[in-house]
Amino acid sequence: MWNEYSVGLFIVLISAAIGFLALARETDDFHRLLLIDLVEIPSLAIIALLGTDLAEALILPGLVVGISELLALSQLYIVKEGLRSRPVKSPGIEVIELAHAPLIISVFLVAYGIVLSGFTGGGIAGLGVIFYIMSRGHSERFEIVEMASGISWAVWIIAFFVFMFLPQYWYMAVMLAAVGILLKVAAKMSLMGTMWGAHDE
Amino acid sequence: MSSVGGATLAHLPFGDIVIYITPFTLTLFLLALVFTILVIASRPERQLDITFGADRIITKETGLTEMRFRRFMAIACGLASMGAMLTGDVFDFALFTSLVGITNVGIVAAVKSRHVQNAAFQYGLVAMAGTVPLFGAAAMVAATTGTLSMLELAKEATSVVPFAVKAFLVLGVMGEGMAPFYAAKAEMFRAPGAPYVIMCSLSSLLIFLRVIEVVLTV
Repeated sequence: MWNEYSVGLFIVLISAAIGFLALARETDDFHRLLLIDLVEIPSLAIIALLGTDLAEALILPGLVVGISELLALSQLYIVKEGLRSRPVKSPGIEVIELAHAPLIISVFLVAYGIVLSGFTGGGIAGLGVIFYIMSRGHSERFEIVEMASGISWAVWIIAFFVFMFLPQYWYMAVMLAAVGILLKVAAKMSLMGTMWGAHDE
Repeated sequence: MSSVGGATLAHLPFGDIVIYITPFTLTLFLLALVFTILVIASRPERQLDITFGADRIITKETGLTEMRFRRFMAIACGLASMGAMLTGDVFDFALFTSLVGITNVGIVAAVKSRHVQNAAFQYGLVAMAGTVPLFGAAAMVAATTGTLSMLELAKEATSVVPFAVKAFLVLGVMGEGMAPFYAAKAEMFRAPGAPYVIMCSLSSLLIFLRVIEVVLTV
């Protein structure tokens, strides 16, 4: 069982795991860029472990892909760091003071939307979120809405893989997909009231 | 050959690499083709910012060079997806998939906004990390079975590719196809990326569909 290939693969996978661990712990973007280059090397090593003519033919495209991605990312890093977040004067908007009533109404709408689930539920929950945001003013954090949208997509992918690989758990997949569309529609609907677009370009 | 994609319609031999066309791969290929043509034909969307309470509407124009770059990236992404849909070789599939990843980074990064570019950078890191299990899986397929051709692998009665290798392949494709998770940033403020941002979602959907077929066939 433990022939040369297995031992080599084991060592390479351990070094890849160490690289990924460092990547997960690092928070500085530039250092992560350098670490990702380090993580790329084990993938080349796995190909090289084939030890045949085929490995030689395969390692070149692998290397090219890795280098081109690294070039694109470093270019992106330069552009990204060069950009300045310009302060924009926010337009004069009539803001309704945050009282308890809007909160209660939106909580009711969101809860009812979750009970309905699916597309309709997403619409109603989104309406609740719009109402809440409109009653609060415009300094909202879009990151949360974006994150909800992203998470809904990830939930769909999980549901999709469950459908394909573990069809016996189809009911869980249906429920996951329903939650995903609820989140997505709610996120999209809640954006309707928040198109000020003043906080960035 | 029994395949999840249906009966094989045709074979296109390119030397060692034999492309097989099933109703499944043909459908996905046509989908990628149609969307690429739509991207070629479409004009960039103009963003309207409506200011509530002030009765003011601001239109944002997209510059010609920026539009050209985004369209080029979207077309490249369409071509890469088409390749990934048709290929009959595990390593080529890995290559096309990572190409989809690179072009998706380009599509998201073309939006000139700091937080979108931040998202593009983070996505790029994930896509690069995804190449490790992706190419690793392709190399391990060759190491364990001695071939990379999906057609050869499908001939075996029981699957000869170990489960861990298949899991690696799916993991790699998930890393490359993570674009919509980050494209949400570009998509949320619809117009900065529209309509080219649609290629992010479409290409990742297509590679997810294809990897299912690959994993269940080999």
